[in-house]
Amino acid sequence: MARAALFEELILKCLDSLYGYALALTRNPQDAEDLLGECIVRAWERFESYDPRLGFKPWIFTVMRHLHVDRLRQSRPLEATATEEDAEAPNPLYAIPLAPEDILARRETVDQVREAIRRLPPPLREVVELRDIEGLSYREIAAVIGRPVGTVMSRLYRGRNLLRTYLLEGPHFPERREARLGRDL
Amino acid sequence: MTCSAAKSQLYAYVDDELAPETRWELERHLAGCEGCRRLAELEFAFREAYVERFRPDQAPERLRRQVRDTLAVLRRRDLRPRARRWPRRAALLLGAVGLLVAGALLGVAVERYLGTRAVLVELAEAAVEQHQRLAREELPADIGGVTPQQAAEWLRQRLPFNVQLPDLRTEGLTFLGGRISHLRGIEAAALEYRIDGSNVSLFILPEEAYARLGVSDTRFRTFSHRGYDVVIWRSHGAGYALVSEIGGRSCQVCHAPGDPLEAAGGSPHR
Repeated sequence: MARAALFEELILKCLDSLYGYALALTRNPQDAEDLLGECIVRAWERFESYDPRLGFKPWIFTVMRHLHVDRLRQSRPLEATATEEDAEAPNPLYAIPLAPEDILARRETVDQVREAIRRLPPPLREVVELRDIEGLSYREIAAVIGRPVGTVMSRLYRGRNLLRTYLLEGPHFPERREARLGRDL
Repeated sequence: MTCSAAKSQLYAYVDDELAPETRWELERHLAGCEGCRRLAELEFAFREAYVERFRPDQAPERLRRQVRDTLAVLRRRDLRPRARRWPRRAALLLGAVGLLVAGALLGVAVERYLGTRAVLVELAEAAVEQHQRLAREELPADIGGVTPQQAAEWLRQRLPFNVQLPDLRTEGLTFLGGRISHLRGIEAAALEYRIDGSNVSLFILPEEAYARLGVSDTRFRTFSHRGYDVVIWRSHGAGYALVSEIGGRSCQVCHAPGDPLEAAGGSPHR
């Protein structure tokens, strides 16, 4: 009984985070709810492998991500799933971070910035959300997405630069450019 | 530390993810560089204004109820005698061990079948594919406008192996930029150059990944694929693949004309 109580407590404590990560992965509220439900069942079945020293959130995010990749493979076996190729998607940005001075001067609301994060290509949105919203360390994110820390840093770098471009160019970020990013990812 | 290197570390700095010695170097640079210090202050201000106020999307109340129902069902299942689960687990474990053994045997057979050369050819093909995407700017540089050494330093801080540039001696070789790339699933440093109107891509791989290709010596291996010339070799504790369209002159990217062509390990080209 103690095991079930602990599991329940941990799930309810991070339910919003789980829902947010499911949304980041699926980009669709209905799919996110389905993924969350399945994730809870699978996490329960594997709860014995959870090591409290490593934190519950990174562990269950890993479970959710594996489940999501499995589901993608089953439903769209011929389409590319989230692989390292995603990290190499075209990104017209350069190496030097854009200064956020103009963004700060515009006094965007927190919700507007969140909305801009939602528009990022999935692999970039995923690492930006895991870092900036969930507060996971680079090492924890690397464990969740199954890629080296260098890839996490690279995706964060591209994601944050692209986010700043969205914010600087406003809500009418050129559709052609965005469509290209979406297609290539 | 240069301004370019400092700027490339800013995100990791505000995330408090830098190793102590790198952090110390960066802070020393910031103390003496007003431009970079201003950028760091703005990043912290951006973090304070937005990032620290982010909260996850709130799960809808209906979903919360569903989750509570699911957890109640799981709790009831947990009351079943635990012993009943063990035979199934044992069977799964045995199955997994069987699959592992079968997989290992299959791996050995496949490796023998393919042979080292075939694996290297695959690596050469992957390098050519990446080279084409780099040349077409489908894969833009992560870092540019810096020297190759600065780009190598930038990559070294992001890749878990020694990104060591070979001694490039060719005159007229222009450095375009660098990025983290992937060859056959191996994370590699990619450095893009231009010479006489042609692009040249240099990929640097971790030595362990190169060793897994089954190549134990430091010989240069040359391949031709889709009209591109590929040279693959190992030295400085890393693997290298150079892709170009400049034929036999590709060796002169690292060697001046007239040099005896020897790898760092001392073995001649073959």
